[in-house]
Amino acid sequence: MAEKPIIEVQGLTKRFKGLTAVHDVSFSVEKGSITGMIGPNGAGKSTTFNMICGYYPPTEGKIFYNGEDITNKKAYEYTNMKIARTFQIMKPLKNLSVLDNVTAAAYFGHAGAKSEKEAKERAMEVLHFTGLYEKRHVISKDMGTPDQKRLEMARALATKPEVLFLDENMAGLNPAETEEAIQLIRKINESGVTILLIEHIMKAVVSLCEKVIVLHHGEKIAEGTPEQVMNDPYVMEVYLGTKKEGASA
Amino acid sequence: MDTRKAVKTYHRNLAIVLAVIVAIFAAIPLVVDKPYIINIFVLTFYMSTLSMAWNILGGITGQNSLGLAAYMGLGAYVCCLVVTKTGMNPWVAAVLDMLVVGVVAGVIFFPSLILRGPYFTLVSIAFAESIRQFIINSEFFGRASGVGLPFGKDSFAQFRFTSKVPYYYIGFIMMVGVYLIMKKIGRSKLGFALRTIREDEDAAAAIGINPTKYKVIAVVISAIIAGLVGFFYVSYIRYIDPDVMIQSKSTEIVLPAVVGGAAYIEGPLIGGLIMIPLSELLRANFAAVLPGINMLMYAVVLIVVIRFRPSGILGWYMNSKFKAFIDEKILKKPSLDVLEEYELMADKGGK
Repeated sequence: MAEKPIIEVQGLTKRFKGLTAVHDVSFSVEKGSITGMIGPNGAGKSTTFNMICGYYPPTEGKIFYNGEDITNKKAYEYTNMKIARTFQIMKPLKNLSVLDNVTAAAYFGHAGAKSEKEAKERAMEVLHFTGLYEKRHVISKDMGTPDQKRLEMARALATKPEVLFLDENMAGLNPAETEEAIQLIRKINESGVTILLIEHIMKAVVSLCEKVIVLHHGEKIAEGTPEQVMNDPYVMEVYLGTKKEGASA
Repeated sequence: MDTRKAVKTYHRNLAIVLAVIVAIFAAIPLVVDKPYIINIFVLTFYMSTLSMAWNILGGITGQNSLGLAAYMGLGAYVCCLVVTKTGMNPWVAAVLDMLVVGVVAGVIFFPSLILRGPYFTLVSIAFAESIRQFIINSEFFGRASGVGLPFGKDSFAQFRFTSKVPYYYIGFIMMVGVYLIMKKIGRSKLGFALRTIREDEDAAAAIGINPTKYKVIAVVISAIIAGLVGFFYVSYIRYIDPDVMIQSKSTEIVLPAVVGGAAYIEGPLIGGLIMIPLSELLRANFAAVLPGINMLMYAVVLIVVIRFRPSGILGWYMNSKFKAFIDEKILKKPSLDVLEEYELMADKGGK
């Protein structure tokens, strides 16, 4: 862990009119690691995510990538910096086939394919890797949730990222499908991609992540290994709600 | 080797079918000598081309603009005025006109491309109307009475013919040429970017597509083709007035694409070849019987298509048994897997 963090977030704050959705959140993501972000619904996870991915401009705070300030980069500039993301609510290109979905992604980003052939080949490679190859001619809106979640990942991978942000990639999956998704995420990580993920499924977080960040009411309340975090009294309180907690905490 | 052979057979069959279609179109003026019928074909050709111009922005990129007639009209005006005032060759003027229309459309749409959905459509209508109002009130553009091109001897260099037949062939070539360009765009990086924007702008941004940049490109391509059609139109009619640019004309441009299947490159072509002659036939045969009945029948056809085939004629065809039959029996199309294998083959040459 002596290496410089690949992503560093400092004092990130987002206010929507009067509401402070995220308040002064700082953390870092080590190169090659899998970092998880958990928290109850409405804790500000997705808002934090969207700020890091360039979808919302942060009200305050800075985001560094390999030491470079990327706070004001636009969402479409991210794949050029080797960062890709998926969406919590899947956004497949509904009327296009799975293959076309991934081919489109292969044309863009830092390693954008120069020719139709190159794009197709890259897409095929990614489809093999993510296990969607057999379904490549299916129109993406006709697929079920697990495959659409996979497609989200496949599309992100086709841009050849160095860092991958996964937003609740396992929500709505059954245990067997979750297990497959965990395997896939591990496989992606082993191929050298740094991963930051938001997840509700504790089993996945515990088995995948080296470091976990817990958000609650827009603030970071804990950070550490999964074991440390799970044993943190405040985290337990937030999750299990044993004691009455202040609503304005 | 089998793959190669199967694909070669398919390509050959496809080429034969296309050659037959082109031959039929090429033979029509030789058989039909009524200028009225030829006129319907010329109208069909340039309206289909316009519909393709609309389709790249409306159907492929999903930005429903409703003002393309204004850009076609503007193109016609630029062409006409340049030719009459400077004596420039009309073919050269056509290039100039496409540049002007492309730049005008790019500049006025650039700020409005952040708008999504119906707001974009409304702005496109407003801009089209502004262009028309500007022309009606400008002495230079001949106000409401329009401007005309000089008449004279037949000359290819001046794009001036007494007969309608040369316009038929040039119109046909224009339509096919624009179609081939569209086809090329559809398979390219640009085509993928445009379709991704149509499906989901946020997803497009997530994979590294700058939505505004590509929407501007689509607007400019659309306007340039409209400018090209404007050149053809004014050379054919030899006269242009602001009435060509009214809102209902813009709507007429959209119909072939919607009926044919706006998501497909071929949609406006198929829709145009069916709807334009139909509308003309209805007008010719029924308008005298009961004024307005032709419009009513046209509307009924339109409603039926949209009600029962919302993805257009091609949307239906793509999933029909009819297509399966044609692919299998006539074209002998190999399966998608085989086609894919062929596409990814390292060396397509082979004897």
